[in-house]
Amino acid sequence: MHTMGVDLGSTTAKAVIVDGTGAIVAHRVVQMGAVSRRGVTAAIEDVLRESGVERGDLGVVIATGYGRRLVPDATRTFTEITCHARGVAAMSPGTSLVIDIGGQDSKAIRIDSLGLVDDFAMNDRCASGTGRFFDVLARALECRLEDLDDLALAGSDDLEVSSMCATFAETEIISLLAEGSVPADIAASVHRAVAARTLGLVAQVGRANPVVMTGGVAHSRAAVHFLAKALGTEVSVPREPQITGAYGAALLGLESLQGETTVIGHAVEREHRHTGQLANGHDCTTCSLGQAKYQPIDVELWTASVAADRRP
Amino acid sequence: MNAPLHRLAEVAADPDAYVVAWKQSHPGRKVAGVLPMNFPEELLHAAGFLPVVIQENRDPDSDGRVILAEFYCGYTRNLADQAAKGKLDIYDTYFVADHCVQLLGAADVMRFKAPGTPIYFGQFIASMSEESTARKVRNEMEHIVGEVERGAGTPIDRERLAESIRLYNTDRRLLRMIFDARREGRIHLSGAQMQDLVKSSMVMDKAEHVALLEQLLTEGIAAGGSQARVKLHLSGHFCHAPKQELLDLIEDCGAMIVDDDLYHGRRYITTDVREDLDPIEALSTWYFDRNVNVPCPTRVQHDADWDTYLSNAVSESGADGVIVLMAKFCEPHMLLYPELRKMMDERDTPYLLIETEHEGLPMETIRTRIEALVERISRKATVAAAL
Ligand code: SF4
Repeated sequence: MHTMGVDLGSTTAKAVIVDGTGAIVAHRVVQMGAVSRRGVTAAIEDVLRESGVERGDLGVVIATGYGRRLVPDATRTFTEITCHARGVAAMSPGTSLVIDIGGQDSKAIRIDSLGLVDDFAMNDRCASGTGRFFDVLARALECRLEDLDDLALAGSDDLEVSSMCATFAETEIISLLAEGSVPADIAASVHRAVAARTLGLVAQVGRANPVVMTGGVAHSRAAVHFLAKALGTEVSVPREPQITGAYGAALLGLESLQGETTVIGHAVEREHRHTGQLANGHDCTTCSLGQAKYQPIDVELWTASVAADRRP
Repeated sequence: MNAPLHRLAEVAADPDAYVVAWKQSHPGRKVAGVLPMNFPEELLHAAGFLPVVIQENRDPDSDGRVILAEFYCGYTRNLADQAAKGKLDIYDTYFVADHCVQLLGAADVMRFKAPGTPIYFGQFIASMSEESTARKVRNEMEHIVGEVERGAGTPIDRERLAESIRLYNTDRRLLRMIFDARREGRIHLSGAQMQDLVKSSMVMDKAEHVALLEQLLTEGIAAGGSQARVKLHLSGHFCHAPKQELLDLIEDCGAMIVDDDLYHGRRYITTDVREDLDPIEALSTWYFDRNVNVPCPTRVQHDADWDTYLSNAVSESGADGVIVLMAKFCEPHMLLYPELRKMMDERDTPYLLIETEHEGLPMETIRTRIEALVERISRKATVAAAL
C-alpha cells in the first residue's frame, strides 16, 4: 500500500510517495513561477514514474500547501501547518519548534512529542524573510541568488537596516550602497534583520527546543546561520527541507488508511545542525549544505536510510 | 430560508434602504443615527425616533479616506467615508454616549461634514468601581435624557419610556432564546444568520423586529444540519459586524460557531433593563449590569473582567477553541488581548487571533490559519481518543 502527499506551495510543487511502513519511496520538488497546475502535475508524474507506483494503486492522496485545493484528485486536504508538524516529527522525533520559510510565507509551529500542533503563527501579507524577499535582496545587490550565502557569510552584520518590507528593501539597500556600505556587510545585516523578524513569529508561539528549519529558504546556509544566531540555539535542517510538508501529508494519508495516529519516527543523522555560533557560518563549511548549495540529494541512498531508520 | 429570516437578512444587508423606506412610510418621523456601543436606544424610541445603530458599509473608502489617520479602526474610518460621501444624510440627528477616542474622532467628522444635522453627546464614565460612579452615571443619564428631549423637541413621557423598555427587553429575550438554543445545540443557524438577527435588530423598528422573531420562533428553526468537527466561540469585534464571508469561511473550514461575545452578537442582547425601577434609574442600572454580563475592555471594573467571562462562556458552551476577531487598530481590544491570551493559555484552550480590516482580508491565508486551528483541535482529540 502506498500513499502520496502533494504540497502545492506558492513557488514550488512537492510530491512524496511513502510505502505502507511510512518510508519514502520517491520524492520530487518542481520549481514554478507561481502556483501552477502544470507544476503540480509534473511533480506527481515524476514521483509516480520514479516509484513505479500506478496512480490508481495509491491508497489516498493528501494535498497540502497554499494551493492545496487546486491539487487534482486529492482525497482530502490538510494545511501545511499540520503537515510540516507531522513530517518533521517523523523525520526528526523530539522536535519542538518548526520554522518553515517558503517562497512567499513563513511560519513558526510549536509541536508536541506526537507531532501535534501546539501553536502556530504565520506571516500575514508581508513577504519579509521569505524566498521572494531574498530574490529582491540578490537583485538589489546585483549578485546571483546562489552567491548570496557566500556574500552574507563573508560580511559583518552590524549595519542598521530599518525596513524589512520586501517592497521597500530594494530602495533601502540601494541607499546603503550609495552611502558606501559594502555588499557583503549589507547582505549580512539584512540577513540578521530578517532573522530578527522571524523571531517575532517565534515569540508568538513561544520559544522551544529542538528547532528544525524547513522550506526552500532552509537551503540557504546564511539564512539558517543567522536564524540560529538570533535564536541563540542550534537549528537542524533536514537534508531535503522542502519535502517535509508533502511527507507529512503522505503520512497523514497512511494514518487515515491504517487508522493509526502514532508517529512513525526516524533518526536524525541525515540532518545537519547549524549552531550559528561561529563567525560567518564557518561551522557549516563541512556539511552538505556548506559544500554545495542546492546539491541534489541522493534519492536512493536517502530513501534507504529513511526505511532503515524507521521504528519497528 | 424561511420568510422572517429572509426579511431580517435583507435589512441587515442594506440598513440604508430600510431607513429610507421607513422614512417614506412614516412621514414626519425622525431617524436617529446612534454610535455604538452603550447608547440607551430606549430613550430615543420613547421620544418617537427610529433609533438605528449606524453600520459599517461595504463600499471601499474613498472620499473620506484621508480624513482620519491610518491608525483609526476600520469602522471609524468608514464612518468618516460615509460622512464625506453624504451617506449619513439619511439620519435626522446623531447620538453618541461612548468615549472611545477613535469613535469621537468619527463623530467630529460627522459634525463638520453635516453641519446641519444635530449631534448630541453624552459620555458615560468608564471607571465602573469608583464610589462616585453610580451618581455620575445617573447624572449622565439625566443629561442624555435632556439631550434626547432637546433633539425631539418634546419631553419623554415616563409611561412611554417604560413601554419602550418592555419592547426592547422582549426583543433581547427572544434573541437570547435563539442564542441559547444554538449554544445548547438545539437549533442550527449559521454565523451569518445569527449576525443578521442582531444587526437587523440594531436597525429595524423594534416592534417589527419582535414580530419577525416571534414568527420565526413559531415556524421553528431547524436543528442539527452541521457536520462540523470542531465547536468554536467567536470573541471580540466591537462596534461593527465582522464580514459575513469571514463567518462563512470559519464554517467552511469545518468549524461550528456555538457562541460569541461579539457586539453584533451576545454583547448587544445580553442585558435587559429592569422593569421594576423608575425607568431612568433602570437605564442607569442597565449600564452597570451590561458590563457585568459581558464585560467590555472599554470599561474598568474591579469585580468583572472579560477574561473570566470568556473562560466561563467557553466552559458553558463546551467550545473546543476560540477565534478572536479584532478590528485592526481597535485600541481597547488590543490592550486587553494579552489578558485574554494568558487566560486561554492557562486553561489550554486553542485560539486564533484574526485581525479584520474594512478593505478586504487575505482570505486564503486566513483560511489556512482557521483550517490549521480546526485540524489542531480535531487531531488532538483523535490522538487522545486513540491513546
Ligand atoms: S471601540 Fe474599537 S471598534 Fe469601536 S470605535 Fe473604538 S477603536 Fe473602533
